[in-house]
Amino acid sequence: MRMKSPGLLAVALVAVVAAVAIGPTAAAGDMLVTAAKPDKLYVIDAAKRSVVSEFHIPNAGSLIMTIVPSPDGKVAYALVNRMESISGIDLKTGKEVFRADLSTPGERVKDFCAFTITPDGKELIVYELPTKLLPSEFQVQEPRFAVFKTNAGRSAKAIRTYPAPRRLHMMLMRPSGKSFYAIGFDLYEYDVATGKQLNSRGILKWDMPSHSQPDLLAFWPVTEPSGVFTSPVISDATTDGKTTMKTGLMSLDVTTDKLEFFDFEDTSALIFSTVLSPDRKWAYGVYSTLTKVDMEHHVLAGRVPLDHTFYSVNLATDGHEIYMGGAMCDVGFYDPVTLEKRANLKLPDCGDQSLASLRVLPAR
Amino acid sequence: MSELKPTNKKAELLLKAAAAGHVDEVVAMDSVAGCSTTFDPGWEVDAFGGVASLCQPMEADLYGCSDPCWWPAQVPDIMNTYPNWTDGKPSAQNDWRELDAVFPKK
Repeated sequence: MRMKSPGLLAVALVAVVAAVAIGPTAAAGDMLVTAAKPDKLYVIDAAKRSVVSEFHIPNAGSLIMTIVPSPDGKVAYALVNRMESISGIDLKTGKEVFRADLSTPGERVKDFCAFTITPDGKELIVYELPTKLLPSEFQVQEPRFAVFKTNAGRSAKAIRTYPAPRRLHMMLMRPSGKSFYAIGFDLYEYDVATGKQLNSRGILKWDMPSHSQPDLLAFWPVTEPSGVFTSPVISDATTDGKTTMKTGLMSLDVTTDKLEFFDFEDTSALIFSTVLSPDRKWAYGVYSTLTKVDMEHHVLAGRVPLDHTFYSVNLATDGHEIYMGGAMCDVGFYDPVTLEKRANLKLPDCGDQSLASLRVLPAR
Repeated sequence: MSELKPTNKKAELLLKAAAAGHVDEVVAMDSVAGCSTTFDPGWEVDAFGGVASLCQPMEADLYGCSDPCWWPAQVPDIMNTYPNWTDGKPSAQNDWRELDAVFPKK
């Protein structure tokens, strides 16, 4: 494992950009953040198709996963060190300004991709899966939410914990800052201050009587730019005795609490993640193809092949450009109307992004 | 349990403890304590029973699946046992030839 000091290595790096078409570009000012092996965090100017900052996350363990930006866009919090640490990197200086190492001697703690931040940026809430490492056995402990002050520095300790359900893989803060969603087999809502469970709705046991249990892979916590989290769901639907595998969408409005599921096609291509347009008329999903979904009529609106598989999709603040990252070492820029490729930005040194989130930073 | 015969002292103690109600309830080990606790069979087939819908190319998916122990049978457990397996090999598409097999240390 290579350990490097954090620091701003290069500002205004000239990135390798292959522009394939001249056309309208992303909203001026959209800054993206992604990460790549072994320990790199990148800030990308979407309109300029260039990497503007490249930072090293100390002791990242060659594994950077979920990224949650602070609400003011100044700090990126990343799940690193094989799911055992949260590192907060100042996006101006590149310095690590926050660190919570979750494991302690004798107790290994993993966070399976789920953490979130309060709207005031003062607290991180982290899903912890502790295991006691005893001489002759691993003893599974009860999962918990642990709350950290973001100003606690590089040796942050939890200021409060409360019980959590098993099998969570994503958390989303609600804009009020009073509660957050925890997504796993069910959709839970918890009070930030007390940890009291406020609500629980079925995902695996959803209210779709003619459908089998759904399958979804939701650990990219993207609600930008619409304020709605969406995820592909796949299930078997039975109509008139005939069963067909269907692809649908789950959508959760984190402001209004509205949760919806609908099918849009017989499953013909896989989709890992989706994002909703600001006008909420279209959703875009990626895997080995780019998929466009008509949210009003619940139908497939378009699909084009991609150069390779991408995991994580996002969208310009004004909805005029699709961004995609994850998996390999490039970020794609696509036209949301025609689905044509506009540009491709290869990250310096070509480290795989793997499961790192591709996030659009809040405007500073 | 009556059909199981303990073959060592620890198993005997466990059987007695279970009979006396001193054994903790078995709970799901959703904490990733090692890739051996992951039961996903791997990447051989896609959702349609073929291979056409697997990630393209396979190298695009290699680290995304090995990082969270998604492919426990095919790649080393980098979560805990072989954490340095990808050191110096940040790009699966460029470095896959350097990804070696691993063997338990004696």
